[in-house]
Amino acid sequence: MAGCMFSAPKFRLIDLAKPFLAFVPEIELPYDNLPFDDKIVFTLTTALIYLFGQFPLAAIAKGSVSVKDPIFFLRGVFAAEPRTLLEFGIFPPIATALILQLLAGFKLIKVNFSQRKDRELFQTLIKIVSIATYAVLANIFIASGYYGEDLSLVAKLLINAQLIGAGFFVTLLIEVIDKGHGFASGAMAIVAISLSTGLVDDLFGIQQIPIDQDGNKEPRGAIINLIQGFRAKHKTLLGAIVNAFQRDYLPNLTTGLLVVVLGGVVCYLQNVRNELSIKSTKVRGMVNVYPIRLLYTGGLSILFSYCVLFYVHILGFVVIQLIGGNKEGSIINTLMGGYESTEFFYLARFPLSLLTPPTSFFALLQQPLTLFTFTAFLIITGVWFATNWQEISGSSSRDVAKQFKEQGVTLAHHREESKDLIKIIPVASATGAAALAVLVAAGELLGLKGKGAGIAVAISSAFAILEVVTVDFQQNGGQSSIAQMLGGRPA
Amino acid sequence: MAKKNPQFEKLVETPLEFVKEGNQFLQKCKKPSKQEYLKIIQAVGIGFVAVGVIGYIIKLIHIPIRYLIV
Amino acid sequence: MESSVPGGQRTLQKRRNAQLQKDKKANQTPASARQAGFGGSSSNILKLYTDEANGLRVDPLVVLFLAVAFVFSVVALHVVAKVSGKIF
Repeated sequence: MAGCMFSAPKFRLIDLAKPFLAFVPEIELPYDNLPFDDKIVFTLTTALIYLFGQFPLAAIAKGSVSVKDPIFFLRGVFAAEPRTLLEFGIFPPIATALILQLLAGFKLIKVNFSQRKDRELFQTLIKIVSIATYAVLANIFIASGYYGEDLSLVAKLLINAQLIGAGFFVTLLIEVIDKGHGFASGAMAIVAISLSTGLVDDLFGIQQIPIDQDGNKEPRGAIINLIQGFRAKHKTLLGAIVNAFQRDYLPNLTTGLLVVVLGGVVCYLQNVRNELSIKSTKVRGMVNVYPIRLLYTGGLSILFSYCVLFYVHILGFVVIQLIGGNKEGSIINTLMGGYESTEFFYLARFPLSLLTPPTSFFALLQQPLTLFTFTAFLIITGVWFATNWQEISGSSSRDVAKQFKEQGVTLAHHREESKDLIKIIPVASATGAAALAVLVAAGELLGLKGKGAGIAVAISSAFAILEVVTVDFQQNGGQSSIAQMLGGRPA
Repeated sequence: MAKKNPQFEKLVETPLEFVKEGNQFLQKCKKPSKQEYLKIIQAVGIGFVAVGVIGYIIKLIHIPIRYLIV
Repeated sequence: MESSVPGGQRTLQKRRNAQLQKDKKANQTPASARQAGFGGSSSNILKLYTDEANGLRVDPLVVLFLAVAFVFSVVALHVVAKVSGKIF
């Protein structure tokens, strides 16, 4: 209570969380630093439980509904699956955390991070706002008719309970990893594992899915489909190969290969770095390198761009579908363009199409402006974010310079080290964010429907987590039986 | 020169300077060698597929449940 | 995955020690707000939760089990819907 007395009488946003502090569930911190193996198991289990949540919603209308998925190209990044419990994936926690942390960094929200009480309030605020976001999104989708035109009140309540309940558990799952039971960040671990599962499913998925009225079935995985296509009775050999590369109703090899190539390029970018040679001021002759990565803010810039994109498209969906009913010729549709309905998706027309990546490369030819607007959008938001994030996330040039001082190291060839660092870090973050944005835009404009952005975020998240895992392994992985099982080599 | 709108000038110059600085930075950067890169790709690939397969097993559990109830 | 069973002398001792350490950590004020990071994130890692608020504390294992139970409750809902033959 002492904290309250010292805080200024002025209203602060984080004080909104105060009444919730007592009953919002809070994961316990681990008793002490958990063994390496436990952390691995916790990280994996938590993410797998998340995957288990990709279960179809109950109480929604069966069969096809006239309102289709308007955010299909945003799902990959947020590990969201349509019409399942994870309809919105981990978008609400990620968006809330990124935005609130940015606002706090800009001092637009007053939080005194040196006070424990304030830190607690801040993270409780993130949790409450995330769950509230789940609730708002759920009701937007229910009211739009996405789950069925005339749902009974009971059905609406049940869908609400399922989506908000799932959202509640997702925030807690993230918290389990974040709090130190797992490695690094829950949100990033979930994205990485969910995306890798999706990739395996798209390439090697063995589930047979009926594709036409004659009862012919094709496997989900593109590679399996190619192999199986050689033996299928309803296809010729050449037809099977063409089909494997071109089918649009299930994952095809072209997109699969594109995603893999994109992942490879992200791996390359991840390892481009500027190595500053540093020397100790205490021990003579000790020279080391301090790498400044090109992707200084990793995949976070893409995450941020996609958060903004998500808000824009949800807003568009609310105006066009909820308020306007997506009626041809109405004022709203004339102004906002409305949606074109396909079998699965709602395709936005001009002007919303400017920020909608096309579903295929050929669709891009019908909306050529998107090429510029979408790319520019990703670059501008990404660079803006990266420039600001490096500044506020405790890793700006000043912080690094201070860290150097504390550890007694200086740059080997430069006298004015902080000046040099001040130049390098912001340039690195901005350039890296721009490079990643161009890469993602290229992939998305070729029609990857969110998988391109997804793989970029997943790979960079995997690298960020791997870094933490490696450090932990070197410190206390000595008795790790998992490492021994894998042949004792850290990845 | 002097008659030009300074705001407009800034609008053109900022991206140009950004590209220039970025290029300079990139040239100073150390890129992974081919060998190093192949090793990374291999490690990431194996890791991704391994984790993906584990995740896919969870997804496989869904299939019979879905079949029974939907 | 080994979790400590509540109760027992050793666990109590462990818990007390952990609490002591936790308190120590909590009372350490970082040198600057910047150093604390705005919410625990770093340059390329997005963290949401780092501190333990004095709320309703739950064990992580309990949450994992409850999460699975939640999904199964939705499965049960499907079954009820199918058996009763209506979609609510």
